[in-house]
Parts: sequence; structure tokens; C-alpha cells
Amino acid sequence: MASCLSRLCLTSRLGGKTMRTIGCRGLNTSHISMMPKSSSSESTTDNSVEKESSKKRGKSTQVPSYEQGKVSRSGVELRFKYPEMFPEPHMIWRNPIKEKLERKDMLARRSRIYIPEFYVGSVLRVSLSNFHQADKTSTFVGICIQRNECGLKANFILRNVIDNLGVEVKIELYDPRLLKIEVLRLEKRLDTHLRYLRDAPHEFSTFPLDMKPEIRRTDDVPLNRIKVKLNPRPWTENWYKYDFKGIDNIEDQITNKMNRRRIQLRKPWEKYDMMKTYRETLPEEEINEILSEIKEDVEEHEQKHRRRIN
Amino acid sequence: MMAALRARAISLFQGILCNSKSNSSALDVRFQVCVTQVRSHKIIQIPRFRHPYWHVRKDRSHYSENLTAENKEFIQETIAKEFGPPTVVSGVQTYGSPVKNVTKVEPVEWFPGIRRTSTIARKIGIQPMWLKDGTRVMCTLLQIVDNHVVKYNPPENVIPLRRREKVVPKKALGRYGALVVGAESADPQEFTKNYCGLFRESGLPPKRRLARFLISPQAVLPPGTPLNAMHYRAGDYVDVTGFTIMRGFQGVMKRWGFKGMRATHGVTKTHRRPGNIGAGGGKARVWPGKKMPGHMGGKTRTLRGLKILRINTEYNVLYVIGQNVPGQINSYTYIHDCLLQHRWVREAKDARPLPTYIPKEGETHPEDIYAADVHPFDGSSIMYEVVDTPTVRTGAKIAKAKGGKK
Repeated sequence: MASCLSRLCLTSRLGGKTMRTIGCRGLNTSHISMMPKSSSSESTTDNSVEKESSKKRGKSTQVPSYEQGKVSRSGVELRFKYPEMFPEPHMIWRNPIKEKLERKDMLARRSRIYIPEFYVGSVLRVSLSNFHQADKTSTFVGICIQRNECGLKANFILRNVIDNLGVEVKIELYDPRLLKIEVLRLEKRLDTHLRYLRDAPHEFSTFPLDMKPEIRRTDDVPLNRIKVKLNPRPWTENWYKYDFKGIDNIEDQITNKMNRRRIQLRKPWEKYDMMKTYRETLPEEEINEILSEIKEDVEEHEQKHRRRIN
Repeated sequence: MMAALRARAISLFQGILCNSKSNSSALDVRFQVCVTQVRSHKIIQIPRFRHPYWHVRKDRSHYSENLTAENKEFIQETIAKEFGPPTVVSGVQTYGSPVKNVTKVEPVEWFPGIRRTSTIARKIGIQPMWLKDGTRVMCTLLQIVDNHVVKYNPPENVIPLRRREKVVPKKALGRYGALVVGAESADPQEFTKNYCGLFRESGLPPKRRLARFLISPQAVLPPGTPLNAMHYRAGDYVDVTGFTIMRGFQGVMKRWGFKGMRATHGVTKTHRRPGNIGAGGGKARVWPGKKMPGHMGGKTRTLRGLKILRINTEYNVLYVIGQNVPGQINSYTYIHDCLLQHRWVREAKDARPLPTYIPKEGETHPEDIYAADVHPFDGSSIMYEVVDTPTVRTGAKIAKAKGGKK
């Protein structure tokens, strides 16, 4: 029971990365049905349980603390702060030595550049050195619409609208040309990726290039529950096929046939598929092992950065 | 011609007859094969030497031997007494004690055309690296797994591998010796008695993988010599051989990269088909070698001319450029010195460690050795510098300038 309760706390921190690499094998969604009634069913099934509901519950006896699970609070934070540190759980592509060497390289790069915590939906400013303008650095401001891959291949896509034209930049996280990453607004969104902003009105992905970083009052990462209205079809992808929580008007935009297809493609049973969860998640022990390996370096790195700011 | 053959057959026949009385039974077998009459064949088929010749049956059937716990412990103790306790050395499971009575390796002088031994590696993964000019390259990680020299066969004893497609060129005959190299020590209980016997002379624990590499007799290594990543240098070029991923029966689009046909515009039932496969008229047939659907993958293939970007000396890992090294992840590959002409070593001062890297006492290496043009991960971020390129004057402008002076 303790493990299933700690799962809730873990999922509450879940941000941009998909469940696949962040999920934990020891803790299964199917246990959630055993939860006490005080937490609503909607919030339990939601991947990103908002902070508000946890606040409402307060610190009652039914609500588990982080200490109840095997992973400590700081460990949990690390796990969602640095999703690319955890390998793809596909067994035939894995090799422990390669993963170890890769982690070492990632930490080596992190000793040179501060890579902050950010999620899909956060607004970032990124500066890169550019071969074609050697005397300057090129900077870009935009919303992170996707985080891809693990290990040194990790990358993210920033989107902004400049002169009424949508612009996207794909940036490798461990590229040595990357000079600085600055988080202007740290928040999460309802979905694991926001590629549908490509088919939304420009206002949803417009950010001023001289945007200043917002001051954070708490350590918690707020969840932005904004719902986007899509432009009429044609779209770049068939958004109606997936259940996005962050799209408001999808049913107005599609035909009856599409709607039927949309209902047909739903897979409500998948959250009860224990084998699927098993295949697509890392075992809890392995996560703890990796965390214990990287923890010291990462904390030192954070402190160093804090000192630099102060 | 026929007379000569007949004479040869008779002499063989007589020779065997004489011998068969006196000694070995192996020759009896040969004798039987020799005289088997096949009416349709004009030439008597002499039994060939099977290759690879060191192959004896490796895997044994694992039946229950009803061993008690004490017995099992005793077996493990005996193995530990022979080869040392099981340990992990640079990320690979092996046995602790060093090989006994290994003769010391002496450095050899380079001469043109000298060929060193190759090594056995595991392909452990793929990752990006960045060069100093900022370009991103994908590289494959090849771990050299616990390699030891098992045996050497001098050139006169080497019989080249006969394949249906490729025949070893005649000039290679008698020029190269064969070095048998083994990778990954394992529990002797896994293998047959005969297979374990192959390692008795060298005093090595039995190896999971064996390979035979053709080398110059000058570059010979004594049995029991370990080979590691320092056999290569960062910046060198290598060829990597592997067994390609099995894809099964595939169509022409996947197997040969054909374009296929259109999805619409009146195309019916031929979206992924090859189209026409032969001409009519005089040659009304399909030419041999035509690219067609069929089984894809599962073949030994070599990727040549790959640069070593980085070497990890702790885990014996080579970071080799390219993401298309044949083979699945965690499969075995063979790393050879590059055979491409423009990648050859042409001078003695540029020679690779010969016959292999010989560690000196008290010598230490950095954990990572990078090639000259590779950006290390702990290096500072790349900043470009403004280069003032002098303006080059074209012919007309120079003429103008000259004219102006006059």
C-alpha cells in the first residue's frame, strides 16, 4: 500500500517527459483504485496531479508523505529534474557500461554549463554560439513544446512567433555550442507535448524576445491549466486521434466520422495493463541506484550555481 | 590431364594402403572416402580440411548432474585455484589471476605492409560527440572485452578460408600467419571438454568467442598476451566487421531502397513492388544478380575507414565514428586496422604500436584519450573567433591596380 501511495506523490511531479522513462516499475497505476475516497478519481488518474488538490487535502493522516516511499523527496525531485539521466527501458538497446559512461559525460558537461530544471510548457531563453556570426551569440526565446530522447542525445524544441511567423528551434541539451539556458517562466502544462501549438492561433505561442525571468515564490512548479483553441483544419497532424487535455475545441473542428474514429481509438484499458507498465518503465531499484550515483555531482553543481547568482 | 589425375589417385591409394596397416585410424577414414566410387564424377573428391580448423564442439547439453551443494562449491574452488577468483575487470566478468608463464613481448620495427592482430569487441551503444568546430557526429561504442592471444599458427600451416564467393588471393598464401584470439573468459562448465582443451597450452580460462586473424609473422604475439584498447590510437582508422541485424524476408523497398510507386493517381496494387525485372527481345530472361525481394540481414559485413574519435582506457571502449556499424547492440564485432589505401600507415614514425601496446612500469594514462579534432565533454563551450580573411584580388583587379600605378 505504501508503494502505491508514494506513486501518487511521484506522479505529482511529473512534467514534460513521457511516462516511459520517468515511470517506476515498482509502483503501478492499477493500485490507484485502492486509494481512499478523499482524493477524487479524476486527480488520481491524471498524470500530472496538480498541487492544488494536494493542498486541499492538507497533511491529513491519509495523505502519504514522501518518506513513506523508498525514494526520498530529494531523490524524487532529481528524477523529474533530470529525465535524460535515465535510460530508455527497452532491454535490447541497453548496456550498463555504456549508460555509465554516458552519465559521466553528461555530468562532465554539466560542470561547464548550468542546465536548469524545466518542463514542457516552460518558457526559456537559450544562447548559442554561431559559426556565421562569430562576434555575437544568437539567442532565442520560446516555449518548450517537446523534450526528446535520453542520454547525450537529449534535445528540446522551442517555439515562438516572430513577425507573424511561427519559428521553432531544436536544441541539443549537451551541445558544446550551447552557452546558456535561462528559465523565464517555470511551469508545466496538461500534456506531455505541445506540438499542437503549431495549429493554434499565434497568441498561444507568442512571447516577447526581451522577456524577463519571473520571480518564483515557492519551490513548487505550478501547473498551467490553460486550454488552447485550435485553428480550423487542415492540421499538421491528426490531433483528434489523441486525447489531449490542453485542447479546448477539438470536437467543434472535426467531422462526425472523425469523432467516431476518435472514440474508436481510445484505449481506456491501457492504464490497467501491468505488462505494458512493466515493459515501459525502469525498476525502482535501478532508479535509486542511478540517483545515488549522480546525486552528489548534481547537488554540488546546483550549489555552485546558486553561489554564482548570489 | 586425366592420366596425371589417375596416377595421383593411384599413388594416394597406395600410400594410404601402406600406412593404414601400420598406424592411425584417421587415415583409414580418408582411405574409405578416397575409394568411394561416384560414377558421375570424373575427379575423385579428396576430403577437404574443414574450416575454421580450431572448431571443436563448443556447447554441451546441460543435463542435471545431481551435484550436491558441497560438490558445486568444490568445483568452483578448483576453478578458482586454476584461474583465480571470479572478478570484474574493466566492466567485464573474468577470472582474477594473471596468465602463467607468458613470454614478454618485444617491440617490433615497422616496415611497409606489416599487419598486426585485430581484436574482438562488443558493440555497446551509440551516442553523439561534437568536434572542435561544433559539428555533431554520431559514434559507436565498441568495448574490447577481455581479449587474449590463444594460439599462433605460422604461415606454412595456415590454410586459408575457402568460401563459395571469395577465394583468398594466392599471394596471401604463405605470407601471413594466423593468430587465434579469444574474448570473454567463462566458466569451463559451460563448454565441452574438447573445447576447454584448446586453452590448456596457453593456460587461459576458456573463452566465449574465438577468432582467427591473419598477421605478419613479425608481428606475432605469444599465447596469453592480453589485448586492450591501447592497441589502437585515437585518430587512427579501423575496419569493423559484424553480423548484420536479421530483418527477415523483405521487399525491394526496404532491402534495396527502391522507390516504389505512387500511392494514388490510378496506381493499383503496385505501391511497393519492384516493377519491371527484365527486358524482352533477344535476352528474354532475368539477369543473374537482379535486385529482388528476399531475406535481408544476418550476413557478415565490414564497414571500412572508421575514425577512432576517443578511447576510454578504463573500460577499453573505442568511440568510432558512424552509427551504422553492422550488428545489434551487445553483439560481437571484429576491429581491424584499416585496409583502405588512403588510410594506410606509410611511414615508420607514424606506425601503430607494434606488435601491440606494451605497458611500461609506472606508466599511467588519462581515462579518456581524444583525437585531435574532438571536443571533450569537460572542455569549455565552443566560441568561434572572427577570422580576418585578406581580400583576394581577382586577375582583372590586379591588372587594374598595376595599370593605375603606371
